[in-house]
Amino acid sequence: MTTETLSPTLQRSRLNNRLRAMVTQENMITVVVALIVAGAVIVPLAVLFVSSFKVLDPLGWDTVWGFGNYVEMFTDRIIPKAFLNTLIISSGATVLATFLGVTLAWINARTNCPGRDYLEPYNLIPFFLSPFIGAIAWHNLGEPQTGLLNNWARDILGIEGALINVDNIWGVIWVTGIFFAPLVYLFVVGSLRRMDPSLEDSARTTGAGLVRTTMTVTLPLVMPGILSGAIIVFVTSAGEFGVPFKLSAPYGWETLTTQIFSKAVGDDANHYLGAAMSMALGIITVLLIWVQQRYIAPRSFTTVTGKGFRPNVLDLGPWKWVAFGYNLMFIAVAVVLPIVCLIIVSLHPVWTGKMVWADITTINYVKTLFWWRPDAIAAATNGIINSLILAFGGASIAMVMALVISYMIHRTKGFGVRMLDFLSVVPIGFPGIVLAMGVLVTYIQTPIYATLWILMLAYITRFFPYGQRNISSIMLAISEELDQSSRMAGASWFTTLRRITIPLLKPGLFAGWILLFIIFLRELSISIILFTTGTETLSVGVYYLTNFENEPLTAALSMAQTVLLLIAIYAFRRFAGREALTA
Amino acid sequence: MNMKSDVKVSIKHLHKHFGAETAVKDFNLDITQGEFVTLLGPSGCGKTTTLRCVAGLERPEEGEIQIGNETVVAPAKDIYLFPEHRNIGMVFQSYAVWPHMTVFDNVAYGLRVRRTSSKEIKTRTMRALELVGLDHLAERFATKLSGGQRQRVALARAIVYEPDVILFDEPLSNLDAKLREQMRDEIVRLQKEVGITSIFVTHDQSEALVMSDRVVVMDKAVIQQIGGPEDIYANPVNSFVANFIGVTSLLEGKLTARNGGVCDVEVPSANGSDPLQLRGAGAPGAQPGDGIFLNLRPEDVQLHLEAPDVSDGKNVIEGQVIDTIYLGSFLEGRVRASGHEIGIQIDHYENLSPGQTVWLTFQPEHGLCLTE
Repeated sequence: MTTETLSPTLQRSRLNNRLRAMVTQENMITVVVALIVAGAVIVPLAVLFVSSFKVLDPLGWDTVWGFGNYVEMFTDRIIPKAFLNTLIISSGATVLATFLGVTLAWINARTNCPGRDYLEPYNLIPFFLSPFIGAIAWHNLGEPQTGLLNNWARDILGIEGALINVDNIWGVIWVTGIFFAPLVYLFVVGSLRRMDPSLEDSARTTGAGLVRTTMTVTLPLVMPGILSGAIIVFVTSAGEFGVPFKLSAPYGWETLTTQIFSKAVGDDANHYLGAAMSMALGIITVLLIWVQQRYIAPRSFTTVTGKGFRPNVLDLGPWKWVAFGYNLMFIAVAVVLPIVCLIIVSLHPVWTGKMVWADITTINYVKTLFWWRPDAIAAATNGIINSLILAFGGASIAMVMALVISYMIHRTKGFGVRMLDFLSVVPIGFPGIVLAMGVLVTYIQTPIYATLWILMLAYITRFFPYGQRNISSIMLAISEELDQSSRMAGASWFTTLRRITIPLLKPGLFAGWILLFIIFLRELSISIILFTTGTETLSVGVYYLTNFENEPLTAALSMAQTVLLLIAIYAFRRFAGREALTA
Repeated sequence: MNMKSDVKVSIKHLHKHFGAETAVKDFNLDITQGEFVTLLGPSGCGKTTTLRCVAGLERPEEGEIQIGNETVVAPAKDIYLFPEHRNIGMVFQSYAVWPHMTVFDNVAYGLRVRRTSSKEIKTRTMRALELVGLDHLAERFATKLSGGQRQRVALARAIVYEPDVILFDEPLSNLDAKLREQMRDEIVRLQKEVGITSIFVTHDQSEALVMSDRVVVMDKAVIQQIGGPEDIYANPVNSFVANFIGVTSLLEGKLTARNGGVCDVEVPSANGSDPLQLRGAGAPGAQPGDGIFLNLRPEDVQLHLEAPDVSDGKNVIEGQVIDTIYLGSFLEGRVRASGHEIGIQIDHYENLSPGQTVWLTFQPEHGLCLTE
């Protein structure tokens, strides 16, 4: 055969090969997944952006295009103050959480504080519990008249008036700060624990004392972690709805989130003004997250060397008992006191601020949990069932999605990989309430509105990145050669995924699943925007009880949620271990 | 305590445990001004622990360490100075160059801690950077440096404030082979130039031999031998030192007779053939019947392709070539005799094939007899 006769056949087969190379299982799935994720993430945000320029006419019948909503944000009687309050609360909570998180991490990782290994899981518990429940508990602890602590102070210490009052902006900072301290803790503790001790030893041998070494070497080295943690706390606090709703909004301190809720939901709802406020909040948070991802996270110093070592542990001498006491105090105010208070309150028919042994009753649990009884409160019992459905279903779907996305990002070079990578960071930048507003304005006219599906869609869109990071961190640690050898051995891409990749990722999948299960079980700020009668969630049930019923009923449902969360936390610790959290 | 004026570091009866494990046992050493002493031994022998005790990074349970004229640690007298109060410099294996500072700030750190005037900080830091050849990189961040450059920064940082003693904790082991040799020579040059007393920890015997004025060989928490490089190479006190320093063949046997300085040693066969009857030297305390290790360096063994004339009192061993390894400048060979392996050096032009019968000879004074 000559070259001329071969050439057309060869060309055709080349073209076929190229086409076949493009239409692989791999590429098709990557593109499809990227489009689905883009639809879920981008569409609500785009619609939110567009809606914010629709101005409702005074009668509420029609809309015109314009900047009216943004103008109203500055001229409104409440919104500018709410803006300011959000900034104050977020700044205050960030300072408090950073201080608590860094000191606790340092005590547990670097000092000889007694029992530090046993204390660490308890330091992290607030991370998993609901800050909204924390606010309810602290309201019952620190309300001037009926607060348990204030009553104890009057009875035992004999003081007049109130010891503390948490029903104000400081109470919001307090509860938000202690509940978000573990976020900073998790950002810092890893680098404190794994830091090459000779970095500090060399400062000591060079002549610097302990304090100077800590200030000039240790702290600067963990500074990127501290800053990252602080930014995340700021953003999360700004998007937090439950705490200001319970502690400050009823007493005249509105925040952006409580304003979005009251302007956008209800009988005289103005979704478009809500959209504009959400845009304002979203722009602030997304900018901060962008700064964190772009400039701070990459600055993390590689302080880990190959050599095996134990971190420098500081002998505090008698001060170790101070550190121990400080640590216990944190656990007391963040975990023990709130839970004890909720239990006490939930066992009374009415709560007057005093424990009355003769009145102890379980009626509140009966009314909120026993859905088959005629006196059950539907919002509460619906909430439990709906939240369990959403948590099981949502976590499972989100983890399958997260697995596919992580696999594409780290193991394939298909089309759309870069977009996927970007899309799985975007939702982190937007508070739940902002994304929920986007979902609301996007899907309000569709059949999924007023079903659990709209909640599940919003949950997954907002939180799948957490699952995805959990898997990615493990996937980066597992050599790609394990996959490749399976392909060499003749297995197809799908067989490899099923037989090799997924079994290796099992611990990460499970940790991610439980993490999402926990997040979904306590979710409030998305649910509060998207629920309707019949689709209440657990936290919405708590909201309903605290708003329309009494504190003991609220406390009972709060305890039910807390117990479910504690069981999930136990499972998380049991199966995932401490390392799984530091993603 | 009366100290000789030129003794710079004195370590007496140092003991250190980690739990039930003894890390250092009865360590005694005096180091004179300007001396370069190496602590050499396999990993886990206690050399690094000893160094960290001198630095103040570990606290010994017993003993006493003096630096200059100051006792820095003495548990019995309840004395313990923190590392920052000991006026020492230290270079770590992992470089430990601070990634959040520039090269200049890294090196200037010790001077700033010592409240030196900013003008002096500038001149002394730049002089130290010149010494290690990094003055052109002063403003660069440490993260942008190669491994060798980082170790130079660490070196400059340790010498800039002229400490009483500089401690090296395996500083070359993270570098690749070529760079390691270069840095090794540079440290020696710098040490001679500055005249600073140095304690150097390594597990690499060639580093120890090349760099040191004196070598302290350690094993299992105990000092095995202290001496100059030539001394420990030529006159190891026991089989551990002989084996650890350089290449050697150790033939285990029994002392059968002693004629003046010459020891008759019988090395039993390992494969059922006749035992080797050899003559060596040393082992002054050994009695006939005692166990002996006969230490034979490859370079002291001559190779013969035909049976040699033995009238001059040399030992002769007949054996078979196992294999040869090409090492560039020469060949290394292994010969099996009565089931024992003996290492030899071979010139290029000699063409040996495995299984070939050869004869090895060596002078009795080269067969050093060791009793343990």
